[in-house]
Amino acid sequence: MSRPSAAAAIAPLVMTVFALVSGTYAVSVPSAEAIPAFARKYTMNCAVCHTAPPRLNTFGERFLENGYQLPGTEDGGITAKKHLGDLSLDDFANHTGGRLRGNMLRSHNFKRQSPPAAEAGTVHNNSELGFPEIFSLFTAGSLTKNIGFFTELESNMEESSTGIERAFVTFNNLGGTNVANIRIGRMDPSATFSFSTLRQQLELVGESMNTSTDTVQRAGLFPLAASAKFYGLRNRSGTAISPYAPSLYNAVAETGIEVRGRPFGDWFMYQVGMLNGANETFGDSNKGKDFYGAVRFDYARSANFSASLSAFAYLGNSNATVLTGAGQADVNWHRYGMAAHVRYKMFDLYGMYTLDRIAHVPTAALANFDTSASGLSVACDRPYAPLTAIRQHGYRRGSQPAHVPKLRRGSDQTIRAVQCGPVCSKRLQPPTSRRRQCSGP
Amino acid sequence: MMHAKHLKYAALLIVTGLCASTAQAVKPATNRDTLMEGRRIYEQACAWCHGIGGEGDGPAGWFIGRYTSPRPRNFVNDGYKLRSTASGELPTDQNLFRVITQGIPGVMPAYRSLNERERWQVIAYLKSWNSAFEEETPAPLTFPSAPPGPTEAGIQHGRHLYVKLDCRVCHGDNGEGDGPEATAGHLRDADNLRIRATNLTDPSAWKNGASSHDLLRTLMTGLDGTPMPSYANEFDGQEEALWDLVWYIQSLSGQQGR
Repeated sequence: MSRPSAAAAIAPLVMTVFALVSGTYAVSVPSAEAIPAFARKYTMNCAVCHTAPPRLNTFGERFLENGYQLPGTEDGGITAKKHLGDLSLDDFANHTGGRLRGNMLRSHNFKRQSPPAAEAGTVHNNSELGFPEIFSLFTAGSLTKNIGFFTELESNMEESSTGIERAFVTFNNLGGTNVANIRIGRMDPSATFSFSTLRQQLELVGESMNTSTDTVQRAGLFPLAASAKFYGLRNRSGTAISPYAPSLYNAVAETGIEVRGRPFGDWFMYQVGMLNGANETFGDSNKGKDFYGAVRFDYARSANFSASLSAFAYLGNSNATVLTGAGQADVNWHRYGMAAHVRYKMFDLYGMYTLDRIAHVPTAALANFDTSASGLSVACDRPYAPLTAIRQHGYRRGSQPAHVPKLRRGSDQTIRAVQCGPVCSKRLQPPTSRRRQCSGP
Repeated sequence: MMHAKHLKYAALLIVTGLCASTAQAVKPATNRDTLMEGRRIYEQACAWCHGIGGEGDGPAGWFIGRYTSPRPRNFVNDGYKLRSTASGELPTDQNLFRVITQGIPGVMPAYRSLNERERWQVIAYLKSWNSAFEEETPAPLTFPSAPPGPTEAGIQHGRHLYVKLDCRVCHGDNGEGDGPEATAGHLRDADNLRIRATNLTDPSAWKNGASSHDLLRTLMTGLDGTPMPSYANEFDGQEEALWDLVWYIQSLSGQQGR
């Protein structure tokens, strides 16, 4: 039997050190992930596009931007590895992928979270089998030259819900190579940002709120700079918006249209878009639309090195509400932010700072709210074969209702997390389950 | 009902169209315009892995093999694996065109989406990094034509050659890439990166092609920069034996005669 390599030998030690430093705990177990459809289609391994799935390397980023066509081309699905007469199930499989996510074993330390209840014997720690929690079905690719599509259907078995997470079509290379690429549908606006929301996590751990009490039950493991930050904001149907929910430009999915491109070469990208922006699953009940614009500067001309710097402005228009005592009132929720990313060989470093502002808060509600909030997230990752370590720090500073207990530093306002997982698969390491509870307004 | 004469014209049109679609565009002359256009295409499509200077150090290239072979080709200094020329020689332009068009399973996509003129322009540009291309005119080896087809006796002889030539040391007794040298991790490429022995039972992963002619070419030329040597000298004047080995290797995956 061959001896393990030095990198493999120190990987467990590195994981342990990271976990101790971060102060987080979790039982990490592997989840399953289907072979990506694009890798099948182009008969390449996943590392051609990914650093650690779903994180994209520079080639993968340009493949995404080009509407699922090879960078610098308008292949429209031509791969040259299919011969006339070979039309078969492959044509379906090349556009389809599945993913199962979940923890084999989930442990909850309720006693530590509620010592009085533990003493009274009313709460108990428990462990449960929980695989799979979520099944995702992807279909994506290029329908024909310069027309691409993406759909993600997700079934969450824990929440007994099934629906379309994202679905959009793309029209690429309009007016010339990479001059204008249009995306229409339910999409993640920050997909091409230096610190994108969706593609930063080995495992997507969403926030969780009790719908009847607006209690925050679990902090989502997203970059905190991307989160809503404010307690007390509601969508137009009156449902509370979790302060941990990725939102606005950094939303996981919003319906709208955007245009982006690199008309002057690879070094510069522009992006402008319009969204319904009312934090609603479907439809648009507010009277206006939200608008955003972003620019990104890239450098990818040195050996094994690439870097990017991005900035955005997101202008909301009656995209949230607050309670005034006499009912709900619309507010405009804006966000401004910038992010940077540096990659050398297989080491990635990300950072993002955002500033949120709420305009037109009714006088009756103004006393209960700060009108600005900021967030900072930093993340780095480095694959140690066969594992990938991702360390993420986030800081959120924002408003809270007066009657909410003072937030404890290091528990709520700062999330520190370490994720580790097999290079081509995923592992789950939530910050904690049932992290803390606090009452909404 | 369509008249027979119209059917003939339709058939002729289809055949003409097919011929036109598979014919290679005229290779453009290597001049400043060709190189400039080749550079533009290269920087949009190829530089992510091969690097802006062609040294195989693009920002995405490190991930392909991570710490194992292959890494993206270094067009400035490295030799070329996939050729029809003798071991140690440069590839022909057709060899480069073939790789760009068909890709390499597992590691490089097929760039048929670039039109043929664009592919030739890229080839002219990447050759400009290596002055040896100006000094030499690579000539392909002459490959023996295929006999009518494999025979049971020929396949048995091929098996004998497979053992005699120590193919099993890397590729394993049954061709599954699990020979003792491979499993011990002793196989390294020219960059001292660990390299796997090809699984001969899975033709879809063969980087130099999976047809019998592709296999024969690989045996004759070897894969420079890897432990796979050229067997041209061993089979000098023994064309039939060479084909026997080809048939045997193909028999490992049930692909004889393709």
